[in-house]
Amino acid sequence: MADDKGLRIGILGLGALGQNIATALSELPYEFSGADADPELRTAFAEEYDAETYDTPEALMQSDIDAIVIATPNKFHEAIATKAFEHGLDVLLEKPLAHTLDSARRIEEAAERAEAICMVGFHHRYRNVVEIAKRYVEQGYFGDVTHIEGKFVRRRGVPGRGTWYTSAEIAGGGALIDIGSHVLYNVLDFLEWAAIEDVSGTVRSDFGHNDDYAYLNMWGEDEKGTIYNVEDAINAFLVFEDGSTANLEIAWAENTRSTHSYRILGKKAGAEIDITNTLNAVEPVPDQRNDLTIYEVRSVGTDHFVDSEIMTEQNNPFRTELETFLEAVRSGTRPERCNVHRALEVQGLLSEIYEECGDRV
Amino acid sequence: MGGSDTQGRSIKSVRKAFRILELLREHDGMSVTDLSVELGESKSTAHHYLSTMESEGYVSKEGGEYRLDLALLTLGGAVREREEIYRRARGDVYRLANETGEVARLIAEHDNSGIVLYQVMGDEAAEPHVPLGGREPLHCTAAGKAFLAELPTGEAERIVEATGMTTYTENTITELQTLRTELQSIRSRGVAFDDEERFDGIRCVATTVNTVSGDLIGAISVSGPTERLTDQRFEEELPRTVQNIAGAVEITSKYSTWTDEQ
Repeated sequence: MADDKGLRIGILGLGALGQNIATALSELPYEFSGADADPELRTAFAEEYDAETYDTPEALMQSDIDAIVIATPNKFHEAIATKAFEHGLDVLLEKPLAHTLDSARRIEEAAERAEAICMVGFHHRYRNVVEIAKRYVEQGYFGDVTHIEGKFVRRRGVPGRGTWYTSAEIAGGGALIDIGSHVLYNVLDFLEWAAIEDVSGTVRSDFGHNDDYAYLNMWGEDEKGTIYNVEDAINAFLVFEDGSTANLEIAWAENTRSTHSYRILGKKAGAEIDITNTLNAVEPVPDQRNDLTIYEVRSVGTDHFVDSEIMTEQNNPFRTELETFLEAVRSGTRPERCNVHRALEVQGLLSEIYEECGDRV
Repeated sequence: MGGSDTQGRSIKSVRKAFRILELLREHDGMSVTDLSVELGESKSTAHHYLSTMESEGYVSKEGGEYRLDLALLTLGGAVREREEIYRRARGDVYRLANETGEVARLIAEHDNSGIVLYQVMGDEAAEPHVPLGGREPLHCTAAGKAFLAELPTGEAERIVEATGMTTYTENTITELQTLRTELQSIRSRGVAFDDEERFDGIRCVATTVNTVSGDLIGAISVSGPTERLTDQRFEEELPRTVQNIAGAVEITSKYSTWTDEQ
């Protein structure tokens, strides 16, 4: 596709996320241009990155680019992705795949027809500790995995209150489809993509729409609660066809400490992953954990417990994700991690959880 | 807010023809005699106008009365299709009516009044008080006040001073000072209320919809009787619902050139 001079990437959607992608691309470095419907965002982007900008996806796609990254609100993923496939471009979408299951299906079908590379940005999957745990599962180190506990709970971390993030029509849901989709990807991956049998759970919305919502840090703009019809917390219990189970605790806001963690319970060994980023940080250095501990019981000499703390480099998962995508674009080989088929499975499960627990609050 | 320009050159007969259409709408049909009296013209002149309009399909004669005819709906339909808010939000307004059971509307601002572009009745709703295309004053309706609140205070006040603040009910705001305070609270909350200010027994909640460049394209409202639009529902639940819908319409409209929806 491209020669040694490197790939040129188009970024669609120049909000906070599009800017993150631009920053990562300029560090790697890659050339990129951007598009947004909002003229203010275009101007800010052009100034910050000295990059070309366009007001429509069509204009961007007709310029000289090799692949695109979609960072728009969820509802617009489909129209942009399918257009990109028609232009013969490879696509990395920010998670989730789409705002609804039907829309997600159409994206997958279009990607298949075009035989394009299509990946979805479940970037926590690229953290070294998550990758290590997954490979231990795959090798059978833990034995049969019987239960996973996945928690992504923020003390106060509603993204962009009153923006598209909190609109059911545009985002397709709240905390579950936003941060919960990361958890679902990882849980399903640890369970080797077992088929779901039964879902139960509850949703709540007790914080985000309140006028007195107080916080230390927010992703995106705070427009108060003017648009807010999504859940800010969900608890669910999943039973899979192979008998394994999972417990999910997802919240944008709860009166507890922030956690992003997983417990993997296997018949031979277990593990705990802690990749919490508290968002409480007032200092510029965020509190980002990178912990993986393996729990075993042995009888060598006398019965004893073994807790193994895994020491590994703390990578920037966002950057690893982009590198994986760009490598796939360069080689033309569709990647295993976070591909569109897996993303569609996540979307199916999201949709089933909303159906069982209620999607309107 | 653009008003019609009554200055400068205009063709009298065209003005008269439109005046006739307005009269036929107000009276729901008129005889040649009644119309000639109302117009201050001879019966033969009134008859010439009506028969010309009839031959063009804009009025029809039933018994001894002339009425507006369907060719006008063709024009009206085309006008409505052109309104951005109608194209963007009619599906949402339909859902709003179904979810609330009340009357949901799209309202456009025109010539210092609000015009009903589209309305859907939910399961609980009785016949609406205002017909499709009906024109309502700004100072006493939720959508109207929401429109006024989009303007700088001075401009809003000039408009209501020009149109007058007709009293419809005990609750109608008729003092400029009261209206000023009301518009301030609409601006800070982003939602406007009509608490039996236009019709006794009817409450309404509305919010405006703007384009990405900040142009006002209309308002979305939901209205119903005071028995059902009670405290909590009127003050919190419906405002939230209306704001959620308007917000989603604004975001979708912002990316309209990005999607195939038009």
